[in-house]
Amino acid sequence: MVEKSKTTAVHSSETVRKIRYFSKNMHDKAHKAKAEGRPVSYCMGGCAYHEILEAMGVTSVYTEHYGGVCAAYRVSEPYLIRAESEGYANNLCGYCRNTIGFDIVRQELGHMPEDAPDGGIPAPDMMLSCSAGCDHRYKWYQATGRYWDVPTFSYDVMQIPPFDTDIKATKAHVMKYQVEQFQRLIDFLEKLLDKKMDWDRLSFLVNRANESLWSWWSAYLLRKHHPSPMPSEDHFSAIVPAVFDLASRDTLSFYRELYGELQFKVDHNKGVLDEEKYRLLWAGGLPPWHTMGIINYFETFGAVFVMEASDYGPWPFFDIPKGMTNPLEILALRTWNQRVEYWDDAKKGCGHSRVQRILNRIEEYDIDGCMMHMTRSCRYQSLGQIHFNNLIQKHVKIPLMFMESDIVDLRDYNEADTKRRVDAFMETVDSFKRKGGRKAVRN
Amino acid sequence: MSTKKSKGLARVQELYENRGSRAKELRAQGKKIIGYLCCLAPLEIMTAANLVPIRILGSVKEPITRADAHLETIACPYVRSCLDIALKGRYDYIDGLVVPHTCDNTYALYAIWASGIVPITPSYHHYIDGPHMTFPTSIEYFDVELGRFKKSLEEFTGKRITNQSLNKAIKLYNQNRALLRELYGLRRQDPPLLTGIEMTKILVACRVIPVEESNELIGEVIKEVKNRRDVPTKKTRLLVYGGEIDDIALIELIEESGANVVVDDHCLGVRSFWHDVQVNTNPIHSLSVRYLENVACPRTYKQREQGYKRDMDNRFGYLLEFAKEYDVKGVILYIIRYCDTFELDAPGVREYLQKAGYPVLHIEDDYSVTTIGQLKTRVQAFLEMIG
Repeated sequence: MVEKSKTTAVHSSETVRKIRYFSKNMHDKAHKAKAEGRPVSYCMGGCAYHEILEAMGVTSVYTEHYGGVCAAYRVSEPYLIRAESEGYANNLCGYCRNTIGFDIVRQELGHMPEDAPDGGIPAPDMMLSCSAGCDHRYKWYQATGRYWDVPTFSYDVMQIPPFDTDIKATKAHVMKYQVEQFQRLIDFLEKLLDKKMDWDRLSFLVNRANESLWSWWSAYLLRKHHPSPMPSEDHFSAIVPAVFDLASRDTLSFYRELYGELQFKVDHNKGVLDEEKYRLLWAGGLPPWHTMGIINYFETFGAVFVMEASDYGPWPFFDIPKGMTNPLEILALRTWNQRVEYWDDAKKGCGHSRVQRILNRIEEYDIDGCMMHMTRSCRYQSLGQIHFNNLIQKHVKIPLMFMESDIVDLRDYNEADTKRRVDAFMETVDSFKRKGGRKAVRN
Repeated sequence: MSTKKSKGLARVQELYENRGSRAKELRAQGKKIIGYLCCLAPLEIMTAANLVPIRILGSVKEPITRADAHLETIACPYVRSCLDIALKGRYDYIDGLVVPHTCDNTYALYAIWASGIVPITPSYHHYIDGPHMTFPTSIEYFDVELGRFKKSLEEFTGKRITNQSLNKAIKLYNQNRALLRELYGLRRQDPPLLTGIEMTKILVACRVIPVEESNELIGEVIKEVKNRRDVPTKKTRLLVYGGEIDDIALIELIEESGANVVVDDHCLGVRSFWHDVQVNTNPIHSLSVRYLENVACPRTYKQREQGYKRDMDNRFGYLLEFAKEYDVKGVILYIIRYCDTFELDAPGVREYLQKAGYPVLHIEDDYSVTTIGQLKTRVQAFLEMIG
C-alpha cells in the first residue's frame, strides 16, 4: 500500500518540482519504446554511456532510479522481502534488492504489480552494466540473469584512484583503456542491433551533454549566495536528468531553466528560508529516498543544506583540449575529470581528494555544519565516512552529524531517533556559531 | 633458511598459533616483510624483490574494539578485523602494505590503513588497480599496473627486479601450488588422509612464511600424511565455498558435526593456488593472465557470451568438477556478511549446485566465533538431511 501521509520533501525550486513528471516521462518513454518494439535496456548510473545508448537508439531504464522511486512511494518492502526470500542478503544495495524483488514478483504474477509506480518498468531486451563505483554495478545483472535471460554486457569504467596514486603517471593508460572500453560497448551494440553507430550524432550528443553539465555546475555556483537559493532536498531531485537522462534535450532545458530560476532568486535575494540562520553541507552518502521530508526537518531550525559534496555531481568545468574531436575521448576525459576532481588541491591540502572536496565546499559555501548519511546497504558511499570526518576535523573544527538509515529500506530507518540526533546536532551548530563558528586548524 | 626445529604438522600447528612469529624472526635478521590482502596480490613480484609477502589475516576469535572508530560497522567483518588487529599494533612487523583492487571493502580499508592511523604505519604502501573485466585489453591494462607495482617495489628496495628473478619466483610459487595440489590429492580418497581442520591450518601456515619454507613445509606434511596411521574416520564428504576462512572454527564445527571437508573454494584455499603462472619471456604478462583470468573471485567479471545457463557453467562449472572429483555429497556456502560480491552470487550458485544434484547449505555469517557457534544446529540438520 502506498503511504498516505507525506514523507517526501517539500521543494522550494519551481524547476525541481517538475522532476516527478520528468522521471515519469522517462518511464513512459521506455514503456512506449517497448510497445513499439524498439530496444530497451536495463542500465546503471555512473557508466557514462548515456550518449552512446541514445545514439544507438537504445532506450534506457535505470534500475537504481526505479529503486529510488519505489522507495519514495514506500512500496519497496514486498520487493525487498521477496528478493531476500530468494537468498539475497538483507544488507545488499537497496536499489538492487528492490528491483530484483520487483522482477521476481512481476514474473510470478505474469503482469506488472498493481501498485508499481509509473506502471512499472518494461522488460529489458538487454542489460548493460559497468564497474564504475560500487561492486553492485557489475554484479547486479549477473544475478538478474536468473530472471531475464537477455544479452548482457559489462565493461570497465575507471574508479576514483586511491588517495596516494600518482595520477600524472596513470592518466594516459587509464584514458586509453577507457576509450577502448567504450568502443567495445559500441561493438557489442552494433552486433546486437545490427546497426552502425552514427558518430556525428554521438558527437552532437556528447557536446550537448557537456552543456547540460556545465549549466548544472553554473547553477550550483549560485548556491554560494546568502541566503542560498536551493537546498539539498531539491538537489537530490535535480540529479535525475544528469544521472539518468544526460543525453536528452529535456535535460539541457531543465538545467538552463534551473540556472535561470536560481539566478533570479539570487538577484532578488530570495532564499530557501526567509531567515537562513545556519548553512549546512550534505557531506556524504546517498539520500533516504523513503523519507526525503527529513531534510525539511532541519529547516524548522532555520538550517538549510546549501550544498553537497557527493559523488552524484555536479562537477566543475573541464577544458577539452584543442583538436580532441573523438567523442569517446571526450567521454573518457569527462569521466577522468569527475574522478580526480580536487586532486591538485588535495596534494597541497589534506591528501585525500574526496575529503578535500568537502573542505573546499565548507569554505566556498560558508558552511556551519556537516551531515553524512550512512546508508546501511551502500558500502561504496558509506565506507570511509568516519575516516573522512576524522580527517576533516584535523583541518577544520566544525560540527558533523551522522544520520543512519538506508537509500530504500525503510526497516533501517527510525524517525524518532533520527530527529533526536538532528535536535542535538542543531544545538551544537547553534552553540558553535555563537562562539564564532567553524575554526581552521593550523597544521 | 628457517631456524625452526619442529617439522611437518607440528610446525604447522606452531605457525597456525603464532602467525607472525616467523615474519618477526626474519625481520630481526634484516628481511623486509610485506603484508598483503586477497588472492589477487601477485606474490611473485614481492618475492623477486627479495621481500617476504605475508598474508594479512583477521581473527574470528577476537572482538573488534578499535576499528569502529575508523571504519563503519557495515564493512565486511573480515576487513574490520584486519584493521582492528593493525590498530592494536599487532601488524607492527610489516614494512609494507599491498592491497589489490578487490572490492569496496578493501578499497576503503586501504585508504584508512595507509593514511597513517595505525600505531606503526608501514613506510611502503601500494594499491594495485586491477580491472574487473577480463578482455585482452584488460589484461594489457593490468600489465601496466603490475609494472607500476614492480617499479614501486624497486624504488622501495633500491634494487632492480629482473625477468630472471621474476621467473625464479614464479617457479617457486608454481612449485608451492603443485605441492598444495598434491596435498589436496590426498583428500580424494575416502576417508581422506587429512582432515579439513588440518588443511585449514596448513593453508594459514603456508601464507605466513617465505615461499621456500612453505615448499619445504608442505613437502614434510605430504610425507608425514602419506605415512600416517591415524587416518581420519569415514564421514560425509563436503565442499566448502566462500570468502575468507583463516581459522578452523567453522571447519571444526562442520567436522565435529559428522563430515569431512575434503575440498574447498575459498580465499586461502584452491582459489589462491590452483592455477600456475606460465614461465616465459614476459613474466609480468604471465602474472596478469594468471591473477586476472584464473583466480575465480566473484570480483572478476566474466563476460556472458550466451544464455544464463552457459554463463553459470562458465563461472561455476569448476565447482561441479571439484565436487565430482572429490566425490562430495553436499556443499556449504559460507558467505561473510557485507561481502557484496559473494552475497550477490550466492543464490545463483546455490541453485546451480542444487540443479546438478548437490544439496547446499547457504550460511551468512559475521566472521566471528560467537556467531559460528549458532550454526551448529543448521549444519547438523543439513548433514542429517544428506545422510
